[in-house]
Amino acid sequence: MTLLTVNNLAKTYDGKTAVNNISFEFEYEKCIALIGPNGAGKTTILRTLAGLLKPSEGTIRISDVASNDDVRKYIGYLPQYPVFHPWMTGMEFLVYSGQLAFLSKKEAKNRAEVLLEKVGIADARNMRIGKYSGGMKQRLGIAQAIIHKPKLLILDEPVSSLDPIGRREVLTLMEELKKEMSILFSTHILTDADEVSDALLLLHQGNIVESGSMAMLRQKYQTSTIALEFESDLPSYQAKVNALESVSGSHVERNVLQVNATDIAIARQEILAVAAKENWELVNFKLNRASLEDMFMKVVNS
Amino acid sequence: MQWMTLFNKEMMENWRNKKWIWVPLVLILLAILDPISNYYLPQIIEAVGGLPDGAIINLPEFAPADVVMMSLSQLSSLGVLVIVLMAMGTIASERKSGVSELILVKPVSYRNYITAKWAALLALVWAALFVGLLASWYYTNILYGDLSFKSFLLIFIFYGLWLTFVISIVIFYNTLVKTPGLVAFLSILTIMGMSIVTQIFGHIIEWSPNNLSSYIYEMVIAGEVSSDLVATSVVAIALSLILLIASIFTFKAKELAG
Repeated sequence: MTLLTVNNLAKTYDGKTAVNNISFEFEYEKCIALIGPNGAGKTTILRTLAGLLKPSEGTIRISDVASNDDVRKYIGYLPQYPVFHPWMTGMEFLVYSGQLAFLSKKEAKNRAEVLLEKVGIADARNMRIGKYSGGMKQRLGIAQAIIHKPKLLILDEPVSSLDPIGRREVLTLMEELKKEMSILFSTHILTDADEVSDALLLLHQGNIVESGSMAMLRQKYQTSTIALEFESDLPSYQAKVNALESVSGSHVERNVLQVNATDIAIARQEILAVAAKENWELVNFKLNRASLEDMFMKVVNS
Repeated sequence: MQWMTLFNKEMMENWRNKKWIWVPLVLILLAILDPISNYYLPQIIEAVGGLPDGAIINLPEFAPADVVMMSLSQLSSLGVLVIVLMAMGTIASERKSGVSELILVKPVSYRNYITAKWAALLALVWAALFVGLLASWYYTNILYGDLSFKSFLLIFIFYGLWLTFVISIVIFYNTLVKTPGLVAFLSILTIMGMSIVTQIFGHIIEWSPNNLSSYIYEMVIAGEVSSDLVATSVVAIALSLILLIASIFTFKAKELAG
């Protein structure tokens, strides 16, 4: 079921194109990561979806929302650097934002209690936000974004500013939230995207250059190599490896033989079979999977 | 109700940042400064060494109406400046800091957002004006002569309309630019510009809100509300409402991020 349809969205600032004619669809209870280098247009897209910017061209549609209805009711948004009223307490701010989203005071209070607990800042509920640390503000930011149970949660770089512990906790929280709502988040940390998202949108200079599930992208940009290390006599082993049918080429890198293959699975089978039969002096056998970074560089540069 | 949520937040903010304390105090100070210093002027001169021999100083006798004008002229200059500076960031600083990014992605109606801020500022300014003029009225009565409570109330209400107009100007510029200092500058420029235009074209523009003070003076002397005062008040209210509506439209047309 489609939740969000973005059609030919474009955004220009003073003649400069930030987002160039992008289209994508988004299903219920999925988590999509928007990845791309700085300046790729991630924040612009998220702000436009949240209604803070007006699209220069194109349309954004949320399913089941009447055209005269306010889409903001169904969207929760956390900016990259959330700023709060420093004179309010965390509890007060949550109740305030809940009430703005049409919860009654009582509902807002109950929900705020639950969320403060959930994001792990319940102890600081009555502390002025001015005294919160960066990590606490980020958590409060997530809590205020989901106070009205939105269908779509938009997070702009939710973990980039956090320390490793905070990052882990927020990622776990996102994993949990995925069961209740769809999440669209941006990041330039590719492993984070890999961890929680079901699909990726790769963004470069305002264009979606690639999209799809992690598994699909891995397969498409498969660049795996096999690294072999021998006790001695590397050149003769290289010749033997190159003679194998499935191997397309090899090169030596710091005493390690890097083997490229047309089909990595078959190459592995062949190499191990020959090595066992001829009793090769193999020290190390390693299959190098393409990292997300490699894939990203490849997509961006192509 | 969403409007009340926004209004309560403004009231709470103005309470916590002590505006509810210092704005009334400043207006009290400004309102009683001239009435008291004029009354005690002979003693003050004596205390600082007196006049040279042979010099004679003739101090004018002030009527209660003149004393009211002293208070109002202080409020119209320094008082307006203080009010403009106090209100210059009400929307602009929220946009500048980025808090509005969190608030306005919630389904907040822009009309509620702006009118709630306007109303909260008016509540503060009218309350501060009330205590300021009350203090001035008290000293007028004990130092100069009788001024009826009814006159005091009428002065308060009609002068309050002028400050309402000032607040509406500040709100309007708040929706236009997001630098608080610039909001203050443009607001003061507008008020000064209007004052100059009113003085130059006084014979054509009889009902400019800038004339409220002089009609209030006439009212205190004559003891009755002139039709000019009523007409000027209507113009001030109408202009305030037009500015408020214009604010809502400019804000709607604005992009709220970036």
